[in-house]
Amino acid sequence: MATAALRSQVAAKWHESFSRLNRTEPGITGLISFSQAWNIATEYLHPRDITDPMAVKKPADLASVKVAFDMINRSRRLPVMLETFLDDICNQYHLITRDIQKYLAQYEESGDTTVMLRLVFRLVEWFRAWSPIDELGPTIRGAYTLTFQTQLFSILPPGFVAGFKALCASTLVPVAQHTPEMWDAFEVLGLTDRYEGIIASVGYERIEEYVRETCTGKWDKPCLEGLRAWMTSQIVPWMLPMYAKGAVNTEDARGMLQNVGSRFDFHMNKTLCDLRTSEIFDIIIDFPDSMGALQDLKECLQRVDQRASLVQALRKANRKRLLHPGADTKLILTQYVATIRCLRIVDPPGVLLFKVADPIRRYLRERPDTIRSIVANLVGDDDSGDALVDENEPIQPLQQLEADDYNDPNWDPEPIDAGPDFRTNKPSDVISTLVSIYDSKDLFVKELQVLLAQRLLAITDDNFEKVEKERRNIEILKIRFGEAALQVCEVMLRDMTDSKRIDGHVQSQKASIVHPTIISRHFWPSLESSDIVMPGQFQALQTDYAKEFSTFKPDKKLRWLPHLGTVHLELQLEDRTIEADVPPLEAAFIELFSDKNVWTMDELVAGVGAVDRTAALKALITWIDLGVLKEDQENTFRLLELQEEAAPAARTAPAAIEAPAVSAAQQQQADQMRLYWKFIEGMLTNLGALPLDRIQTMLRFAPGYDQTPEQLAAFMEAARREGLVVGRDGMWKLNR
Amino acid sequence: MKVTVKHWHAVAQWRWDTGAAEPEGNDAENEDVCGICRVPYEGCCPSCKMPGDDCPLIWGECTHVFHMHCLLKWIGTPASKQQCPMDRRTWVTAERKVGTA
Repeated sequence: MATAALRSQVAAKWHESFSRLNRTEPGITGLISFSQAWNIATEYLHPRDITDPMAVKKPADLASVKVAFDMINRSRRLPVMLETFLDDICNQYHLITRDIQKYLAQYEESGDTTVMLRLVFRLVEWFRAWSPIDELGPTIRGAYTLTFQTQLFSILPPGFVAGFKALCASTLVPVAQHTPEMWDAFEVLGLTDRYEGIIASVGYERIEEYVRETCTGKWDKPCLEGLRAWMTSQIVPWMLPMYAKGAVNTEDARGMLQNVGSRFDFHMNKTLCDLRTSEIFDIIIDFPDSMGALQDLKECLQRVDQRASLVQALRKANRKRLLHPGADTKLILTQYVATIRCLRIVDPPGVLLFKVADPIRRYLRERPDTIRSIVANLVGDDDSGDALVDENEPIQPLQQLEADDYNDPNWDPEPIDAGPDFRTNKPSDVISTLVSIYDSKDLFVKELQVLLAQRLLAITDDNFEKVEKERRNIEILKIRFGEAALQVCEVMLRDMTDSKRIDGHVQSQKASIVHPTIISRHFWPSLESSDIVMPGQFQALQTDYAKEFSTFKPDKKLRWLPHLGTVHLELQLEDRTIEADVPPLEAAFIELFSDKNVWTMDELVAGVGAVDRTAALKALITWIDLGVLKEDQENTFRLLELQEEAAPAARTAPAAIEAPAVSAAQQQQADQMRLYWKFIEGMLTNLGALPLDRIQTMLRFAPGYDQTPEQLAAFMEAARREGLVVGRDGMWKLNR
Repeated sequence: MKVTVKHWHAVAQWRWDTGAAEPEGNDAENEDVCGICRVPYEGCCPSCKMPGDDCPLIWGECTHVFHMHCLLKWIGTPASKQQCPMDRRTWVTAERKVGTA
């Protein structure tokens, strides 16, 4: 069927092939010799089972093999030869698979990395056994390696990766002996390239482990230097065989390691940064003993962009550990100040601080005693000695926020991660920062007055140094708050000295055991009013002194605040004498008892004018504790002229004096609100029931009204408790 | 029993003896203020910082009382015509007779 042309074509082809194989040999001798050569070559190349001692390649006659290859090459049959060879490898690969499975099973059982190492070396053995001779040229070798590796990777089970990783890790801890050969083996099998990520992760994990081991909780010194040294001495030698293979000298090696080295260094920084971030709250607590950790953190943050996570971690820790009702305001303030100091070290521009401080400040603003705590600290009121303010810090005026001065040659733009309402609080001092929690410093000044008043009134005239101490305090505070704001305090202090002077004069005219502090009423915080009338000899003492005073200052007169101050008494009873330092109310009561031995509560209260029953009871209990009085029946008190058995032993120690008689700023606010009650009463009378916001709107017309709706609501609530108003469905009306 | 007071550290406020009846209670509202600066007598006039002897009162024969500094400033202005700002009578400073005014 074939056409003649086709036939001739086939013939030509056949002839050509024949002549190629037969070369120019006569007959078919060429063909025969080629076929022999082919057999020798394939026999030589055939991938053998190295586990079978029978099949182990006989030391073939290398010379004849070379001749055979040469002949095949000359007949241009080498590519076909190669193809057959590679096919053979694929077909024989089940041998290797079997081996791998055997080793892996063994490894999984024992977990011993040396098994893995043996596996790797075994694979290399296979590789070497099957590898063609080098004379065949790099192309064939390359093709072989590629096929071998492709096959290998395709059959490696998932378990191998874990084992491989463990093997790498095992080389890390003590620098192992077999390292160079092992890395060579990896290289031969192409494992280095393929599992580069895993090898690197081994390094990373080692770094993490080491950092955690050595740096956790060690805050006093910077760790970064030590870690770097460790990296150089431990990790770099480990990396050398892998990443700097074939480096001829250290210079060369350094160049090769630069890339991977900086990756490892980055990882170390990141790990340390993460660690410090998780510890940040405790680091701040430990400040200033945690300077080292803060410096580390600063350095790490420059390398690693973890600022946001630091802020988050700290905010979370603050929320969880600091800003809750269980924490003392003083504690929060201390921690806040420590936070300021710490974050200023870590991040001088203050962006981190701003972000972290915001929730703390907001929380502090809601606490009622924040101002009091700050002010108490300002005047050194706390006994713990744990002052917020560093003694060495220079005292400077409170800083107000300034607009950016663009003419300043040192002006810097805001940091890149600053929020929209970020304000650079330049090198402002801690007190300025604390005061700026509130919108105005007036609140502080008010609280300061209250506190000063308490402290001044508690000073008895025999230790006048205390007044001097307060004066020094005020002088210092003047620098901060300004002269004008503290004018009132100045008057208070002058009242103290004036009192001393006046008292000196009065005493010289007519000695008296009364030593009053005479105050200027508008310059002291409103003092709790009281309607006590001092009985008996006290009254007489007061009158005498007031008369003497009026003689000295003819245009002035005294108005006693009988509930303030202290009295030092001596009680002469039939069998004993008791001395006591007591508040005036106590003194008044005991004075009453000098007339008559048994009094009822009502009589006592009437005897000193009007006094709150709880206060009266408290005063009487003081005497009961001292063993002077006894409550026979309820509300009936009897003087114990003779000490009774049941009564506790009479103490000559002065009773504790307490009760700061000055109302707090909060109380003052309530008093101020009382003024507006008149308005509220009026509008509720005229307009009937009103909702809260309506009341607020109308009160705004009143001069000086500055309460927030919340404050008004609290006030109305208080009024409701007093039964003045009733509130229903958000409407308030007078209760009548 | 005999009670002996050894020492009494008392607290008192000073008041100007204006001769007016002692206002009842401590309330700020019903308290005498200077007719010129509207600051209480026991406070100080706007130009002073220290109350009391540094910023005394002045009594007129018309019985009106002012901070001395306030009144002198007023009298110093031509518009005052040397009159008491309250009743427009010519201002005559009263001789203070203690306890009797």
